[in-house]
Amino acid sequence: MTVPLPAATREGRELARELGAKLGAAAVSTAPNDLWAASQDAWPRLSLARMAGQARWTPALVAWPSDVGMVQAAVQFANEKKIPLVPIGGGGGGNGAALCARGGIALDMKRFAAEPRVNAAARTVEAQAGLNLARLEDALRARGMTLGGLPEGAAASTVGGFLATRGGGPSSSQLGKAEDLLLALEAVDGTGALLRTHDGPSRGLDLAQLLLGSEGTLAVFTAARLRIAPFPRARVQLGLRCGSMAHGMRALQAVLRAGLRPSVGRLFDPLSSRLAGAHVGDHALPAPLRALLHSGQQELLRAALRMPWVLNGLAEALGGGALLAFQFDGHGGRAFDEAAEEAGLARRICVDAGAGEVLTGDAVTAVLEHRNGAMHPQLFAAGAFVEELDVAATWTRLPAVLGAIRRAVSTQALLLARIGCAYLEGASLELTLVGPAGPLAQSARARPRAGHAPPELDEELGQAELRSEQCLANALSAALDAGATISHSSGVGLARQLMLPREHGEGMRQLRALKRAFDPNGILNPGKLLL
Amino acid sequence: MSPSAQSPAAQGAAQAARDELVSAGCQVVLEEAPADAGGEAMAALRVQPSSAAALGRAVALLRARRIPMRVRGASDAPLGPPVGGALVDLSALDRIATIDPASLLARVEAGCSVAALETAARRAGCTLGPLLPSVRAGSVGAWLAGPTRGERGVAPSRRETAALSVTALLRDGRIAESRLAPRAASGPDLDHLALGGGGLLCVIASATLRLLPAADVLAASWKMGSLVGAVEALERLCLTQNAPARARALAIEGGAVLAAAWEGPATARIDRARAIRQIAADPSIDLGDASGWVRGTSGPQSVEVDARWRDLRAWALREYEQPGAELRLLGLHAGGSFAVLTSAGSARAEECAHAAQSCGARVLWPRALRDAGAWWEQEGAGPVWARLREALGSEEAL
Repeated sequence: MTVPLPAATREGRELARELGAKLGAAAVSTAPNDLWAASQDAWPRLSLARMAGQARWTPALVAWPSDVGMVQAAVQFANEKKIPLVPIGGGGGGNGAALCARGGIALDMKRFAAEPRVNAAARTVEAQAGLNLARLEDALRARGMTLGGLPEGAAASTVGGFLATRGGGPSSSQLGKAEDLLLALEAVDGTGALLRTHDGPSRGLDLAQLLLGSEGTLAVFTAARLRIAPFPRARVQLGLRCGSMAHGMRALQAVLRAGLRPSVGRLFDPLSSRLAGAHVGDHALPAPLRALLHSGQQELLRAALRMPWVLNGLAEALGGGALLAFQFDGHGGRAFDEAAEEAGLARRICVDAGAGEVLTGDAVTAVLEHRNGAMHPQLFAAGAFVEELDVAATWTRLPAVLGAIRRAVSTQALLLARIGCAYLEGASLELTLVGPAGPLAQSARARPRAGHAPPELDEELGQAELRSEQCLANALSAALDAGATISHSSGVGLARQLMLPREHGEGMRQLRALKRAFDPNGILNPGKLLL
Repeated sequence: MSPSAQSPAAQGAAQAARDELVSAGCQVVLEEAPADAGGEAMAALRVQPSSAAALGRAVALLRARRIPMRVRGASDAPLGPPVGGALVDLSALDRIATIDPASLLARVEAGCSVAALETAARRAGCTLGPLLPSVRAGSVGAWLAGPTRGERGVAPSRRETAALSVTALLRDGRIAESRLAPRAASGPDLDHLALGGGGLLCVIASATLRLLPAADVLAASWKMGSLVGAVEALERLCLTQNAPARARALAIEGGAVLAAAWEGPATARIDRARAIRQIAADPSIDLGDASGWVRGTSGPQSVEVDARWRDLRAWALREYEQPGAELRLLGLHAGGSFAVLTSAGSARAEECAHAAQSCGARVLWPRALRDAGAWWEQEGAGPVWARLREALGSEEAL
């Protein structure tokens, strides 16, 4: 599929000339490929737009600051001109948080990526906001350390993006996510003032925690000091079959209540565990679901997607139960023995809670390393829409949250569910929704490779986006009604912001007060968080 | 000066506020108050709302009249109203609404004492975990709105606030309540407008707190070469994800005694064994009941601090070879610990506080010795702070 590159506007070129005079000509661009790159992230709905040959949310210009002074100058310039400024990172966001909803300057932070300063003895690292998370983790591993709470898309994430969306990953159960890892933050607010938060004993209102998760709407993050942990010397993995998701939740909770802190504790519904390659027993997989598992069966998948309720019924009737997978770490002189001892204790607790059939070795590794995102291209090509969401709730509410979401989307999309991060008081529920997007994919294949897309594609894109959006809205609405939060660790972005008033209630007034305080002219990432 | 000695205008304003607060469902007492800097005497109000709704109405009224206010919960240290302002006494808002042992959560009103909550939690097989004595003696609201933001050490070597969700009253008395979720990424954490805020930006009416499973304590003790050695041994445990729930170190002639305790229901045994392997010091010291010794109390001259490991090491070095110097650590984590410090030979808390502050620790208690400062100004956010107060309609009160 080819997509026409966006053309620079006259206003954009004029702004670039003026900003270039302040930052240096090499630090700004209105080149079509740069504008296109700044208008992309990992939001699945953008795949639909690309299929229809459209580039959405294009900035007027892109700027690449490489020091704090340049960030301040860019923010002051945006204030003078009263134009939006959107900090962007690695493009790994899944909700469109860093897309330029109202044009303006895309402030690409990727040149803000000096080598991290690792203090292994104090268990801290200082990193600039544009540093790629995977590179940061490589630097830490070289010193025997780890950040721990890395998101699955770390290779396309930066430190700033991770903090701006309160990111987390599979290991956040043990070491925490962004809010637990952040010690101090350096940022430029909406007036261009430099903020450097204190790192040390608590002193009342926590400025850094108020900025965290603000998705570029309150300040541009430039650097952070983060808590790190020793990389384990040994790891032991363990998988157990549970009768159902509810049984698995009880077993997982029992393990945590016993005081055990696995670095990973995840629970997969029957279909998810099969997708991840954990085949158990001789339960035959119905043909429509097999289409999901094997590429090259697009016709069958396309037909199956027309009846999501049938797919959901087949998935619910699927034997094999849910799969509970753990990873335990060992650190000391007897690292393997320590990890194995904890895994053994967890296994006994789970068996007491009704779990059975233990998996070890490659089978569990395959499950833990499986990423549903890898299926996206195949699904989109077959005419599907895909929505990924992560909600979170307390243990008491979690089964009801899952049930409510299942009911809400059963006629619109096939639902895949897994527990992503488990804590003492609750857990995150990661969900993949796969539904029929309409004729967009077929029409897109038929369109000419060059030139602009025919007008009917616009209509089909609108239709596909509407289906996708309605399905996500139904899922989030059901989650809110059942007492969950709309996002555990992936932020809000364009995808979920309409649910914010129900999430925060009167807290929306506090959010707007924060906006007035940090960004009085409203130039930072306008149109996000409903600000 | 008595209220009757004030100017008629001031008297009238105070009386009008009193009448409105009474009709809002609060008990109100007009008190004597010292004259302000301009020499005019202002009556002070002591306001006791009978319910969360009455508290909301009282906050709305006080904010609308721009009357400075302070908040005090049951069992908090005695505190008077600010000059010309109001003391909002939450001692009637002390209910424990629910304890959910399945999700390990307690929903409680801000005026409830931490000790009462701990008693109720224990009955349900849960606990708040080891806390500083002043926290345990105060109210939930004071703990959350105080300088530590309700934070504590939790396994493995992390530090987090006990508040899972906060119900805060805005300036017009409306209620903002955060979602009940273990973690969230739905924008900034708005609870942080209340946590550590001392009631300046919004008043905490109630909260849902995280509990821990209650468990037997397993302790170990060692004879160390010095107090610094004891602190370094604890730091190593915390940096390798094996923080004890609590610890105590006491300088003695020719060295120090160290004891640490773990409380994980099924893992305390494992953690203790790891610590013994890791510390590899002389475990032969006989403390009798080590678990009981770890829990021992400190003298009235002791001070409570929030400190980094380097602060604690510096303090231990300062107390070098002075028998009687003692640290009690509650809430250890990779970055440091909450601690009760007793300097050797210090008869007064001021001396202990000075010693702790000179090493970088932040004094939390006694309240009169608590570190104060314009923190946001020091972080470059002075103008942000001014705009935020304006946007939230708050008055400086503390």
